Amino acid sequence: MNILHRQAMERLSMGKDATKDSLMPGTLEMLILKTLTRSALHGYGIAQYIKQVSDDVLQIEEGSLYPALQRLQVKGWVTSEWALTEKNRRARYYLITPLGRDQLAAESASYDRLIEAIARVMKPA
Amino acid sequence: MNFINKLKELLRRLEFLKRQREFDQDLEEEMGFHLEMKIEENLDNGMSLEEARYAAQRQFGNSLLLREVSREMWKFITIETLIQDFRYGLRMLLKTPGFTIVAVFALALGIGANSAIFSVVNTVLLHPLPYKDPDRLMMVWEDSTKHGFPRDTPSVANYIDWRDQNQVFENMAAMAERSFNLTGVGEPERLDGRRVSASLFALLGVEPQLGRAFLPEEDSPGGNRVVMLSYGLWQRRFGADKNIIGRSLTLNGESYLVTGVMPQNFQFPNNDVALWVPISFNKDELTNRGSHYLQVIARTKPNISLQQVQAEMSTIGARLQQQYPDSNTDIGIEVVPLHEQLVGDIKPALLILLGSVGFVLLIACANVANLLLARAAVRQKEVAVRAALGASRLRLLRQFLTESILLATLGGLMGLLLSFLGVYLLKAFIPANISQAKAITIDAKVLAFTLLVSLLTGLLFGLAPATQASKVNLNDALKEGGRDSASGSQGNRIRGLLVVLEVAVSIILLIGAGLLINSFLRLCNVDPGFRAENLLTMQVVLPELKYADLVRRSAFYDELISRIETLPGVKSAAVINNLPLYRQGNSIGIIIEGRPEPPPGEQPIVTTRVISPNYFRTMSIELLQGRELTKQDTANSTMVTVISETMARRYWPGEDPIGKRISAGRSESGDNWITIIGVVKDVRQFELTADPKSQIYLSYQQTAFFYPRDLVVKTNVEPLSLASAVRNTVWEVDKDQPVSNIRTMETILSESIARQRFSMLLLGIFAIVALVLAAVGIYGVMSYSVAQRTREFGIRIALGAKRVDVLKLAVAESLKLVLIGIVIGLSAALILTRVMSSLLFGISATDPTTFITISLLIISVAILASFIPALRATKVDPMVALRYE
Repeated sequence: MNILHRQAMERLSMGKDATKDSLMPGTLEMLILKTLTRSALHGYGIAQYIKQVSDDVLQIEEGSLYPALQRLQVKGWVTSEWALTEKNRRARYYLITPLGRDQLAAESASYDRLIEAIARVMKPA
Repeated sequence: MNFINKLKELLRRLEFLKRQREFDQDLEEEMGFHLEMKIEENLDNGMSLEEARYAAQRQFGNSLLLREVSREMWKFITIETLIQDFRYGLRMLLKTPGFTIVAVFALALGIGANSAIFSVVNTVLLHPLPYKDPDRLMMVWEDSTKHGFPRDTPSVANYIDWRDQNQVFENMAAMAERSFNLTGVGEPERLDGRRVSASLFALLGVEPQLGRAFLPEEDSPGGNRVVMLSYGLWQRRFGADKNIIGRSLTLNGESYLVTGVMPQNFQFPNNDVALWVPISFNKDELTNRGSHYLQVIARTKPNISLQQVQAEMSTIGARLQQQYPDSNTDIGIEVVPLHEQLVGDIKPALLILLGSVGFVLLIACANVANLLLARAAVRQKEVAVRAALGASRLRLLRQFLTESILLATLGGLMGLLLSFLGVYLLKAFIPANISQAKAITIDAKVLAFTLLVSLLTGLLFGLAPATQASKVNLNDALKEGGRDSASGSQGNRIRGLLVVLEVAVSIILLIGAGLLINSFLRLCNVDPGFRAENLLTMQVVLPELKYADLVRRSAFYDELISRIETLPGVKSAAVINNLPLYRQGNSIGIIIEGRPEPPPGEQPIVTTRVISPNYFRTMSIELLQGRELTKQDTANSTMVTVISETMARRYWPGEDPIGKRISAGRSESGDNWITIIGVVKDVRQFELTADPKSQIYLSYQQTAFFYPRDLVVKTNVEPLSLASAVRNTVWEVDKDQPVSNIRTMETILSESIARQRFSMLLLGIFAIVALVLAAVGIYGVMSYSVAQRTREFGIRIALGAKRVDVLKLAVAESLKLVLIGIVIGLSAALILTRVMSSLLFGISATDPTTFITISLLIISVAILASFIPALRATKVDPMVALRYE
């Protein structure tokens, strides 16, 4: 991901607290993909889901969410279509593709490896 | 699979480009929805409507900017990154001004030369002719190859039959040369004109600028005293007088009515033709099948191919051969598209030049590529850092390519300036008889060409270094004291390859130039058969009306010559119908006494020259046998002739031709016999490159076949200094007699080989430039290699190697590359020079001497170019070298 994107994200995020953890872009995409394996959701819904499931720890800013969603579409990992919500409002729903599932598996695996490696280092000596 | 994915991604991005507005609207709606949901959430949390909206907005952030960023995710390249790359590239180039200047200069030379040559090609080869539907215009010739005249001017009767019998042309017109003496308007002037069919102008599709073209009824013996003027003549002699239409002019002593003036860019058939009159064939001409002097142009019907036209005309030609065996045996018909007629003979030379100059650019690119590679090697650390900071390989590649393209564009701009200079020089030296030579300019097409060449050049020389530079091994490069990674063998390999390429291409160009130079020198050494120094020439064409009979003509020439010979500084003077190397034509068929009559149409055809007695002496043409023509050979004495040695050898091998007799045309009575009284050395009549033809010389007092038109004066002083004196002498004899085309014989000789000289000079220049660039390239690579091997040399010296050995070692490396380049270049040259064979004279396209000489030349240059860096190798201080880290 290029430097411009990263700068953009930094510029746009208006995190409530400075203590909020910031996510690597790759990780954000992974989370979005995982979310979409549950069901198709619109942008707001994706952010809500992650927020709830992570117990308010991970709050995805719109400034990060939408660029990420674009990139996922460009890469062909998700597709989108317009549909009506329960309240009969028009919204864009995102669906994960088979390619996206492959990507998710790969990202997930390398993420696990990373975590494990960190854990080993942090093990009480 | 990965490839397919990348492809699909590409397609998706392209989709976006197509549907941008739709995309924008969708995104706006989507984000609007998101915002609303947020507001609702806030409301649910207990905020007031105001607060809810405010908080949501604030958290959402700048939606406009967000949309922009989202859009950017879809783009291939954002304007921002492009600008970034551009500014970065510019900065880097400015930081190393030495490199930039050298590179830009090399590129400017290459690109500029290409643009200049292309502008010539563009104007001469690519411009459409200024007539309506020029693709349908054809010249129609008699094909008398069997008689030695491949594209011969048709006779009138043949033309008439062609015109009446064909089904493929919608219109046909004929032209014949005619010169006119314009008198009665100040200084008399001889004008080059044409008799033309009345339909010519309609056929070409060009309207007169003033007045009208000829009417059909004017194209007949009765109504033909009308004339149309060229724009140039109208401007020059008549001050662009708008009332010129209807005025009478005195041409050749007769009154002609001006009916029209042609527009400025109309030059038909060439620049020199000043006026047109109706061709109006008289009764004799219409049935004359034996005199060949017309030029025929025709317009094909729409949608007919050249093959169809040629086939039909060949059929007609065959039919005429059957019907008129006496005159038409072995005479076919050749149809040539007008465009090819005008440029066909110059096309190969121009294309070869274009190819050559392309090669020069190639070498320049190789040099710049080498420079860039060396530079990239030095920038490894910078690249590594940027990569670590997150730049993708693609981004880096793009970055370097932008730099290259920037370099190439700067080179291209400078090159464009240089090409203006180049075009100016080219126009000054280009042979005048190349069609549209005067019109060569730099127009939009040339600009577009320059731009395209610059971009391609940038990509060409930038790709390899950019690929090389962006490939980076992070570990190696970031190591403390990490050496330039291009000490890696791959960088060296590419550099070596480039040198080999440069040497090979240089060899091709040098051999080409060498062959042309060789050929030109041989051409210059061809003995024309006469001595060209100190000869003044001019045209003095007597009008037929005034000088209707032989006696009056002869009297004029006699008086003229005797007066001229009394002028101080004049050695002798003479007249002839066609000076050598100047005009073609004027031949007749002959019959040799005592030989069986040849089958019809197979008479020997000899060039015929009508001269005054002093001619051989004036031109220093050697008499080999017998005697010259003298004043005593008059209309009342036996008709005599002097023949050329080729003719003697050909028709009287092993015999003495003196005393033998020939006759012009078919013998009816015995009175036409001409006795051979002498044999002279061959004179090259038409071209230095052509073999001398059989030729007879007749006395101007004895024949009316052809009339002398050219005056030639042998001088003791610089010929042109006597020009006005001689001209005044002509006016002393006849004050109304125009004189034109005053030149020295040396000029005529020189102009006859102008094209060969032009090609030779240009290719020679390109070859030298190529050699210099290649030498610079070798020097560069050698310097670099020596710098790299400093340590190695230091060790060797420390271990006791002699300086000479180190020198040999250093030079050997570059020599290896050069030798490979030579082998490749020679092989390529063997194949490529065949393309040039039509331009060569007296030398084969694979002439071994040239090949060997050039190879030795390049080896010497290479040794020279490697010498200085090699010397540096020997000066390496072992202590310093070993400590160098």
